[in-house]
Amino acid sequence: MLALKMLLRSRRGGQLGLIFSALVLAVAVVTSVALLAERVERALVKESSSFLAADLVVSSSQATDADWLEQAEQQGIRTARIASFASMTFAGDEMHLASIKAVESSYPLRGAVKRSTVPFATEESDIETIESGPKPGELWVDSRLLPLLNIELGDTVDVGDGSFKVSHILIEEPDSGSSFSAYGARILMNWADLPASGVIQPGSRVSYRFLIAANKENTDKFDKYVDWLNQQLDVHDRIITPDEAQASIASTMDKGRRFLLLAGSIGVVLAGIALALASHHFANGQLLQVALFKSWGISANRVRKLYTQQIVLLAIGGSLMGLLIGWGFHQLLVSAVREWLPIALPMAGARPWITGFATGILCLVGFTLPALWHLPTQSPLAVLRRDTQAQSLNSLIRGSLGILTVAVLLFWYSENLYLSMAILLGFGITALASIAVGLVLLRLGKTYGHWMGSIWRLALSNLWRRKKPSLIQMVGFSGAIALLMIMTVVRTSLVDEWRWQLAEDAPNHFLVNVAAYELGGVKNLVDQRDLETAGWYSMVRGRITHLNNQPPSELAVDGHESLRRELNLSWTSDLPEGNKIVQGQWWDTTAAGTNNLAPVSLEEELLHELGLTLGDTVRFSVGGLSFDAVVTSTRSLNWDSMTPNFYFLFPEGYLEDYPRTHMTSLYIPSEDKLLVNDLLRSYPTVQVIELDKIIDRIRSIVSQVTRGLEMMTLLILGCGILVMFAAVSLSMSERLQESAILRTLGSSRRLILGVQWVEFTTLGLMAGFLAALGAEFAVAMLQRFMFSLPFSWHSWLWIAGPLGGGLLVGLLGVVYSRKAVTQPPLRVLNSL
Amino acid sequence: MIEVSNISKQVNTSEGTLRILEQINLSLEAGETLAIIGPSGSGKSTLLGILAGLDVPSSGTVSIDGKNITAMDEEGRAAVRAGHVGFVFQSFHLLPGLTALENVALPLELQGMPDALQTARTYLERVGLGERVSHYPRQLSGGEQQRVALARAFACRPAILFADEPTGNLDTGTGKKINDLLFELNAEEGTTLILVTHEKTLAARCNRRLELQAGRQLEPLSGISA
Repeated sequence: MLALKMLLRSRRGGQLGLIFSALVLAVAVVTSVALLAERVERALVKESSSFLAADLVVSSSQATDADWLEQAEQQGIRTARIASFASMTFAGDEMHLASIKAVESSYPLRGAVKRSTVPFATEESDIETIESGPKPGELWVDSRLLPLLNIELGDTVDVGDGSFKVSHILIEEPDSGSSFSAYGARILMNWADLPASGVIQPGSRVSYRFLIAANKENTDKFDKYVDWLNQQLDVHDRIITPDEAQASIASTMDKGRRFLLLAGSIGVVLAGIALALASHHFANGQLLQVALFKSWGISANRVRKLYTQQIVLLAIGGSLMGLLIGWGFHQLLVSAVREWLPIALPMAGARPWITGFATGILCLVGFTLPALWHLPTQSPLAVLRRDTQAQSLNSLIRGSLGILTVAVLLFWYSENLYLSMAILLGFGITALASIAVGLVLLRLGKTYGHWMGSIWRLALSNLWRRKKPSLIQMVGFSGAIALLMIMTVVRTSLVDEWRWQLAEDAPNHFLVNVAAYELGGVKNLVDQRDLETAGWYSMVRGRITHLNNQPPSELAVDGHESLRRELNLSWTSDLPEGNKIVQGQWWDTTAAGTNNLAPVSLEEELLHELGLTLGDTVRFSVGGLSFDAVVTSTRSLNWDSMTPNFYFLFPEGYLEDYPRTHMTSLYIPSEDKLLVNDLLRSYPTVQVIELDKIIDRIRSIVSQVTRGLEMMTLLILGCGILVMFAAVSLSMSERLQESAILRTLGSSRRLILGVQWVEFTTLGLMAGFLAALGAEFAVAMLQRFMFSLPFSWHSWLWIAGPLGGGLLVGLLGVVYSRKAVTQPPLRVLNSL
Repeated sequence: MIEVSNISKQVNTSEGTLRILEQINLSLEAGETLAIIGPSGSGKSTLLGILAGLDVPSSGTVSIDGKNITAMDEEGRAAVRAGHVGFVFQSFHLLPGLTALENVALPLELQGMPDALQTARTYLERVGLGERVSHYPRQLSGGEQQRVALARAFACRPAILFADEPTGNLDTGTGKKINDLLFELNAEEGTTLILVTHEKTLAARCNRRLELQAGRQLEPLSGISA
């Protein structure tokens, strides 16, 4: 096939190499990121299910409807029921108010339970992972229940009317995250023992959970069942999906995934620019060949067909190679992030492969085809007269086609409008600024260059004389630098944001409900182990009795937990760290509420869930006393931070007279874990919330994600350098020719290399400056809309951009044009 | 073979109409050789382009084998060139990424000739480059490059060969060798040859001559019809 032969021969000419590399790189970047993103996504869903111990959970204040179970059984849906309640447990003379979870034998539907026969076990070898709960007659208990009840494994504990054998230590259940609000030691028992214990009576405070999971072969039936179930729910019931189950881990992973997408998208745009530049260069090199073809009587149609065939072949070959390299690179990434999750990454589907392949085709159609479009119209007369060149496709059309291609790729790939827009706009602004400001700068350089030495004068007037390629190069350089900047800034701010999670001594335990008279003793215990707290907060427990002077409707009470239980109210004069005012104003300007009511600041989402707006009143009942407060502001909270967060905050001077308790968060290293035990033995009413396991998990995920980001950054840097190469090689033959002529005329090596150095450094400097402009804009958009990070000004961009750009581009240019001084001028001229 | 009648070529420039060729007439039989001579800027290359169908005159007609190519569109002229025409250029116009062999074979491959490489090799041997078939143009001297170009032109067995200053870029000695080769191949293949040249000696080897001055034909076609 002639087209294939021509393609293979053009490869030797070197011009095709850059197109091919850019294409392969684009496909490889997209494929590797898409493969990884999809596998992580699938793993995330699977892992979230295990955090929930099910695919879906209905949480309710009422026992599960018998009808639901019957329907599920008919449809082949797996189910498990859970009842959680607090109950007194007894052993000899000791007693303890424990948090009990009774589970059916089918529990857990997803994930596994960790148990041990060693109290306070920390060694992996002591911990057993098992996909079932306790058998009837058995209890699996928290380590600390043993000292609290003064018992050992194998002893008997009374729960209600029943006596059960403590057979194992409960280390962790998959859905343990849901029991943060529980008091006391946890106990897992079998559902079948509930009647014998007689602890659940009419009116008992019990939360029920109905767990369901699909069998592999009946996902359709599962979806239908969930639809049916949704219609059966009433105000007592709430559906919990895997996404909601582990918000903080999901958000870390999600940000990591978004960064991967961002990096991948930037890779695509960079490869696109490289491809466009290389294609432009390639097309110029083909003009003589096409003129020859035409002089030999080859028709325009035949020429078009020949080149189209070559592009199609190139697209297929490059894409296949890109897919292969992408797969290899994704394996590398996977090996770097393998420990993200305790489960294996599921295999990816067809979509990443299709995405990768389509990227290759689309890139060539969008960038290379338009650059070659005019070739068939090349006049055959060009073989006789050098000046007869085909009119290339209007650069506006070419630009629009390129932008359209990038937009389609970005959107298809990221499925994220903000990301696509930010990158497009960032790049667009950089490109436009490059053209506009670039022209002015070049003109200024030319005008004022004569004040400087001969090298500068020559170099700056060269740039002006070649303004079209100079501007194209500037767009290429500045675009590449801007995109690399965007990626670096986002990566840095993400890693910064996660730094606390990576910090070894981030708080991993909360101590809550410490009474005023216990405070000294608790502080002593903590001090004895040389541990530091994140500071003590006071709080008052109260209940909402009225909203806008009306008792909340029964419907609202059933529908919202905060209307049923006691809430933690606290006070502070300064806005706590991580809190942001969304509506209204903080105390500074609202010294007191209107009508002598206490001002209160509410968490933003709670305000909406309670159906309140600014200026509404809420009546609280604290220890039998009531007071009214007016909502003066709403706040958003940073739930990722391991510091105490409050739904309701008051200014100082309103709550101090009510009975208060204290809370703090602190870091307890695993070797000091027995502190929890000491605390609970001495102060049984203190509630300890243990987050150490979750935090360890987040920390390991974050460090793996960070490592993944580093690798991705390197890959994208590769793309950036490719663009630089493409841009530098754009004007190289003309430069080499001029240099060779100057050399023939006896110019020194210093002058020739100096001119190249000044030209490229100037281009790089200008490009770096313009890149900083575009990057700052795009980063602001990305931080605002995609990563929910606060806006920050990056002064280093404005220094590193021009300096780095100047140095890198200057070096590349000089290295490229060294040939002009190291080889005899005639050989240089002959090789052009 | 070629009939040229009253062709003129003018272009519009910012300084008015520029007359490049005026009222050129000639007639050439198959196998004849024609030298178009004249000083720089006299319109030689423009005339060559028009004769070869690469360009169109402003008025007048050119017929090749009785077909009026000036009345055809670009596609039609391309079809005529494909069947009849070969070229040799002053600056050789070899493709730098292809070896000597591939350069010669390319037009044959485009014609769909099955044993293009074999034919190309034969012609390279005929121009004395049988040992250098796998060299790239940059590895060849100017004279050698022009020999490759000759092989490329003759390998297609054109009815008419157009040569634009074929030795303009070569030194006298090399130029003479190339000229010898050109006429030798021309005689062997029985090709009609139209060449543009400055060189009196080269022009003298052609049996017909057309001298141009400022776009005008100095006198009717000289020389003897073969």
